[in-house]
Amino acid sequence: MNQSVWGPVQREMSDLLQGHPDDVPAVVEQLKELQGILGHVPPLLRGNPLCDFNQLYLTITEGVLERLYAGEFKDPAFLSRLDVEFAARYFDALRAWAGADASPRCPEVWACLFQRIPGPDCRPLPSACAGVNAHINYDLPFALVTTFDHLGTDPIDDSDQHHDYLEINEIFADAIPGLRRGYLEKWQLLIDTMNGCLDDWWQGEAVEYTRNVAWRNAQKLWGVRHDMTATDRERAGLDKTAAGLSRLLLSPLGSFLQ
Amino acid sequence: MASEEEDGPLVGRTGTLAQILSDLRSAGPGGTSAVFVTGESGVGKSRLLRETAVSMRDAGFAVLSGTCLDIGDASPLHPVLQALRQFDHNVQPAGSAGALLDRVSQDLREVAGERRLLLVLDDLQWADRSTRQLLLYLLAGLGDVKIAVLAAVRAEALQGAHPLRKVLAELRRLRSVRVVDLAPLDRDQTVELVTAITHGKVEPEDADRVFKRSGGNPFVAEELARDLRDGRVELSDTLREIFLSRVDELPADAHSVVHAIAAGVEPVSHPVLAAVVPLAEAQLIEAVRAAVAHRFVISDSEGYRLRHRLVAEILADEVLPAEATVLHRRYAEALSLAEPDHPRLAHHWQKAGEPSRALPSVVASARSAEELYGFTEAHRYWSSALELTTADAPERTELLAHAAESAHQCGEHLRALSRLDELSGRPDAPSPCDLHLRRARYLAAAGRTATAEAEYERALESPDCSPRQRASAAAYLAELLLHLGRYADANARAVDALEMAEVNGSTADLVRASAALGFSAAFREDPDAGLAVIRNAVDIAERSGHPDELGVAYLHLAELLTGPLNNIEEGVLVARRGAERLASLGAGRTYQTRLLAVAAKGLFRVGQWSEADAVLETAMRHRPSGADAVELLLSRCQLWVGFGDVEAAHRDLDAVATLLAGGGARHVLPMLTLRAGLAMWQGEHPTARASVQRGLTETRSDDLVLIGVLAWHGLRAEAEAHAAGLPVDAGALRRLKVAVERMAAGVGNAAAPVRAVIDGYLDLCAAELSRVEGRQDPAPWAKAAVVWDKRGQPYPAAYSRLRQAEAALQRRSRKATAAVALREAYATATAMGARPFAAEIVSVAQRYKVALAGDVAVVPPVESDVTDELSLLTTREREVLAALAEGLTNREIGERLFISERTVGVHVGHIFDKLQVRTRVQASRVYLTAA
Repeated sequence: MNQSVWGPVQREMSDLLQGHPDDVPAVVEQLKELQGILGHVPPLLRGNPLCDFNQLYLTITEGVLERLYAGEFKDPAFLSRLDVEFAARYFDALRAWAGADASPRCPEVWACLFQRIPGPDCRPLPSACAGVNAHINYDLPFALVTTFDHLGTDPIDDSDQHHDYLEINEIFADAIPGLRRGYLEKWQLLIDTMNGCLDDWWQGEAVEYTRNVAWRNAQKLWGVRHDMTATDRERAGLDKTAAGLSRLLLSPLGSFLQ
Repeated sequence: MASEEEDGPLVGRTGTLAQILSDLRSAGPGGTSAVFVTGESGVGKSRLLRETAVSMRDAGFAVLSGTCLDIGDASPLHPVLQALRQFDHNVQPAGSAGALLDRVSQDLREVAGERRLLLVLDDLQWADRSTRQLLLYLLAGLGDVKIAVLAAVRAEALQGAHPLRKVLAELRRLRSVRVVDLAPLDRDQTVELVTAITHGKVEPEDADRVFKRSGGNPFVAEELARDLRDGRVELSDTLREIFLSRVDELPADAHSVVHAIAAGVEPVSHPVLAAVVPLAEAQLIEAVRAAVAHRFVISDSEGYRLRHRLVAEILADEVLPAEATVLHRRYAEALSLAEPDHPRLAHHWQKAGEPSRALPSVVASARSAEELYGFTEAHRYWSSALELTTADAPERTELLAHAAESAHQCGEHLRALSRLDELSGRPDAPSPCDLHLRRARYLAAAGRTATAEAEYERALESPDCSPRQRASAAAYLAELLLHLGRYADANARAVDALEMAEVNGSTADLVRASAALGFSAAFREDPDAGLAVIRNAVDIAERSGHPDELGVAYLHLAELLTGPLNNIEEGVLVARRGAERLASLGAGRTYQTRLLAVAAKGLFRVGQWSEADAVLETAMRHRPSGADAVELLLSRCQLWVGFGDVEAAHRDLDAVATLLAGGGARHVLPMLTLRAGLAMWQGEHPTARASVQRGLTETRSDDLVLIGVLAWHGLRAEAEAHAAGLPVDAGALRRLKVAVERMAAGVGNAAAPVRAVIDGYLDLCAAELSRVEGRQDPAPWAKAAVVWDKRGQPYPAAYSRLRQAEAALQRRSRKATAAVALREAYATATAMGARPFAAEIVSVAQRYKVALAGDVAVVPPVESDVTDELSLLTTREREVLAALAEGLTNREIGERLFISERTVGVHVGHIFDKLQVRTRVQASRVYLTAA
């Protein structure tokens, strides 16, 4: 393994990633510490694209925690578990990252973003979006499946859990002004430049942004979750599509979002 | 033909191996240990498992090994049952899922004898759900097997949403479990491996090439090194190329053998292989020898396997579909001759493209999975049976019914409903009423209560509904409404249901309707009416004499009494009588366990802790599993916390956490509450705080009682931190106040019996809050004491009295009243055996020189004329200092004061700072001079 991928903060990084948070307050703590560490990764320091995403994700998770304490979710046990499962996948990707072509267990969609940590520089909004894309379009469906499996319920539309899940849309919308309705024509334009498979996947759900796509994908995965071959095929497919979108976001084209 | 000597040298794993051996040997508090080895294919997991097994066997362990199958449809508990068969233990189906687990444990104990047992499981990623549950059951210590588990998991499989991912994430938090991530070899290690295999005849550049090509994967590196050694000039680029070129070198017969084994389900026995490969005996043996010599195949007592599954995956792509079909058909035919192994037969007939011949085996597999309570596996078989039949097949109707029911049983509610939809469209579908009833049941289980209610209504209105079905539907509907908290509706419906059931219903329906009536009446503040109905239901069940009906009826009565009616003494009596009755019938073990759990909980609340302890011990002897086991462990842990038995409490908490790794959200909050309670006695405020805060993020806003218990624990943790001179967490405090407000706002809407409980917690919360704020006010505590007295729960009452006395003494007012309260609390605490609580009372009494009872020292070893220096210290710090001056170590001080060693360290640090000393001797001197 390439030991120097995190440069001078290699040690801090591997110490931090020893932790496996098991509740939402601990997830927030870990993201906060991570933010501090990421700000010291040369050469871009606080300007590196992962820093942009991590800050956004931290804000969102703090929002979730606040609403949990305020009792605003219908099924807090579900949402807490989901949040922890969700974050675990981001931390796993970081753990698996050992540099380009040396990280067989790091999902491609995350590798796209991690690769850009040393540069070339790109604008904060598309960087954060690339992270959101990886986390939502790739990680979230799996986090949902694991959570439902663990709680012994299924992903049913209009259930309490679906309601809570959609509630998070609001938190995202508040945190990512760049993805609000007004900006979506640009977003759609970007999508249009992609090839057909992305169009299928998108299915014109731009207004709801990508979170409902994740819910639909989770339902699809749920159906095949006992079939390891099929699950793995789906996983690879999701990774590939999401990675394509991330590359686009991080390309010079992506910068016109901001 | 043994293969193990042919293994290359074990490079770069010496440290890992030693660590695994030591982890497996050192059992956790529950007498069990586990190591899970994860890593990519070819990284050497199986090898490490083998090496470990050998060393452990030499160290006197009984070793059992099993491998999980990747045929997708393995039978339940496959790897463990397979391992047991090697010792001639054929586990037979048992009366219930719990009894089956017990039976497997018993066989494991027999195999182990006096030795500790090591269970080695390879390819755990393919394990079925029932195997995972068995593992958790064993690791939680429920099987009473001194077991160490060593399992290998392919890291690739853990990506995405594999169920083991979650299980491992939860288990790795336990002290007795280790997850070892096996990394590829580094450059030097790879070179060492290459050098060893080539006997040193290797150029440095070549060794380097092997490292680059293999990425440090030992399996690949070893094969590349052999290429070097055997003089293949051009190193292959991929594993695929390595093996394909080797396959080409095989003699033709050996070639067939390798392909045949690759298509089989390992291990492939010799007779089966002989039937699949059309060769004469001598030729076959010759071919097998060649395959072994070329390092494709290994052979052991059970049969043949490929050296590595990676090879099978490579070869699978090389076989023409037609060839594969022929091989699978031959396998199926060969397997049909012997005692049928239905999962394998089903697998091969399906792959042979003969659905009609696969179907009987698939159905047989489904039925035997159901016999072993493997509902998930059964559901998969019923589903593949459906895939094998077309819409016009007559058996499809029956298959659909089974598929729907099995989906319901394993929690696949959506699937169950869609199967039911298809079933209802069949020409020979069951009656509309039957379908409505089933759909309602599935919907209710899926949490879609409104739709479920409508379905029950439809069943009741359906013209083909028999009187018996109608009674049943009404009883279920009443029960559903009760769960929804619609007590008036539930009550009305239960009255109807009871009338119908008395005339036409089964005893089960009658008991169900009575229970719904009883509870809804109690919640509507008409307890006597409900009680009479449930008592009557018990009588009817007594007459029927059916153990399950008796169990349910007794359980309802006991729960009604100990719950909403708060008549704990009688409830305990009923529960114990019910359990005895069932024991005399020699049946209904599950209900006996549940009844005893109700009794133990009641006894705990009324302060009869040693009695509760005895009841729990009896209940544990029934070897509960699943949710019942979790309930009992939580109750027992509650006792340990009360008794101050820290080690036992940790052991049970670990066991609970182990079982919950497999799912079970509703037990998480009680577990967190206990963790907080235990941490508080140990003075570990941050742990207590973290547990409560996590709990707050997981409570529903309408779970007022749970919020009450949690908020009280949280406020108490802050109050104790404050009293110990440690900082109060402002954020945590603010959130606790919000929770209390939510509770206070919601209490008005709660049913009367629930309201009484919440009021009690509200009082405790208010009182703790006054302590956090340093108000030293006895009044709220006196109020809380009265409320809990009224509810007949001595522990919270006595606790309130202690705090009441403490506040009064701090204020130096009404010392006589305070002394009485303190003595009362002390009498209660000692009668219950609540050691840490009694110790706390003693320390308060000593601090304020209150005489408690004849045998308790009145004059404390501490203080009296405190000098200025000591007055800087908090009470707790003075206690620590006194003990320190006696020459006790931090650990000993911790044990005496019921706080952790680490907390003692924190106190000692504060003491040093405040007294401006640097050593224990100096601190002792200051103390002794002052005292």
